[in-house]
Amino acid sequence: MNGYLLPVLLIILAPFIGGLVYGFERIVKARMQRRIGPPLLQPFYDFLKLADKRQMIVHSAHAFLGIMHFVSLWFALALLLLGADLILVIFLHLLSSALLIMAGFSTRSIFSHLGANRTALSILAYEPVLIIIAVSLFINTGSFDAAAAFTSEEPLLFKMPLAFVALLLVLPIKLKKSPFDVAEAHQEITGGVELEFSGLFFEAVYTAKWLDYIFCYTLVFLFAGSNILLGIGLVAGTFLYLNALDNSTARVNYKQMLRFSLGIAFTLAFINLLINSLT
Amino acid sequence: MKLAPYRKKSPWILHFNAGGCNGCDIEILACLGPKYDIERFGMINTGNPKQSDVLLITGPVTKRTRERLVEIYAQMPEPKVVISCGACACTGGVFRGMYNCEGGVDQFIPVDVYVCGCGTRPEQIIDGVVQALGILEKKTRAMEESVRLKKEALKEGEQINRRHVAGEIKPALT
Repeated sequence: MNGYLLPVLLIILAPFIGGLVYGFERIVKARMQRRIGPPLLQPFYDFLKLADKRQMIVHSAHAFLGIMHFVSLWFALALLLLGADLILVIFLHLLSSALLIMAGFSTRSIFSHLGANRTALSILAYEPVLIIIAVSLFINTGSFDAAAAFTSEEPLLFKMPLAFVALLLVLPIKLKKSPFDVAEAHQEITGGVELEFSGLFFEAVYTAKWLDYIFCYTLVFLFAGSNILLGIGLVAGTFLYLNALDNSTARVNYKQMLRFSLGIAFTLAFINLLINSLT
Repeated sequence: MKLAPYRKKSPWILHFNAGGCNGCDIEILACLGPKYDIERFGMINTGNPKQSDVLLITGPVTKRTRERLVEIYAQMPEPKVVISCGACACTGGVFRGMYNCEGGVDQFIPVDVYVCGCGTRPEQIIDGVVQALGILEKKTRAMEESVRLKKEALKEGEQINRRHVAGEIKPALT
């Protein structure tokens, strides 16, 4: 019972914590550019304002797919926090992205189509690496369960350091950060798949982004095993790394992104897998 | 839960250049920079009309941008405000009367705040946006009032209908 209390609390509070993380991130990013930045609760102000705008939907299936994207992402996050099968969690996350892609293709907007295309490409870039990491986890702990990683005595970071580096390389793709933010590309295709959402329905997509933060940082936390201090250190380090990277790099095109992630990140993860399975 | 106070706390700006010289656009970008930093007030420069509250227009309306301007205005969900930024957007400026130029923005869409200057200073733009937020609040109040009146009228109509069915009101023409 006690073991379940913390994950369940985290699952219920995930959107709030994610919102705080996003607000903090905006402040950190602003400080890196020598600006003051918005207040910490700014994402929630945005949330409440969007709830008040007039609802404009393209068609009902489009709005429904946006909401289902949020729901399925929350479900995937819940399973990850409860320590379920990592492969299942990764594919559930894929399902949530697929729903968003379908929403993107269901409208007639050219930017929405471009965004959906690029989201599919970025899935192609990060998904193989995540799967390899899950397989490495299996070889090291004898189980695909995330719970096995949470409870492992020796942190996985020391057993599979190259896999961690590969994860760090693909996280910007997943979180749509520079230099790999072709899927979102704010001034180029104005948000991609989220372009046609507005008002309350945009909120689902906007909040799903906060959940994605929690999802990614939990994946990072997995590498610390049962060592909570190390886990917090890893998450904080990853947070700073992501923001510094986002501030200091320019967008690359999707070909460069694919070449980089499948050429370097995937190779690193695969070498790690080979070393793990041979020793 | 009252959502009205939060409208002022996160105005998302849509910036549209209707055919100007980019002088005012640079000043708007200066507002986003470290010196003025309008993100302090929660303002974001979005590129998406469907998610923004404030339409910031620079430059005179040309024959080409006229339809796009109206279309973008129509795509923004209410409540929304429009700021015309700079001398060209207000009146046509030095481009007024040219063969490719239609003149000020207010001939095509309703403008709430006029910000003068060629190009406008960042302080003036921030001041204009703050004024626009006041207007945004007034507009939303008026919208809520009209919705409330409509609902009350509907309720009254319903009551009259019921009494009519119950036979309390005799039809006028029998």
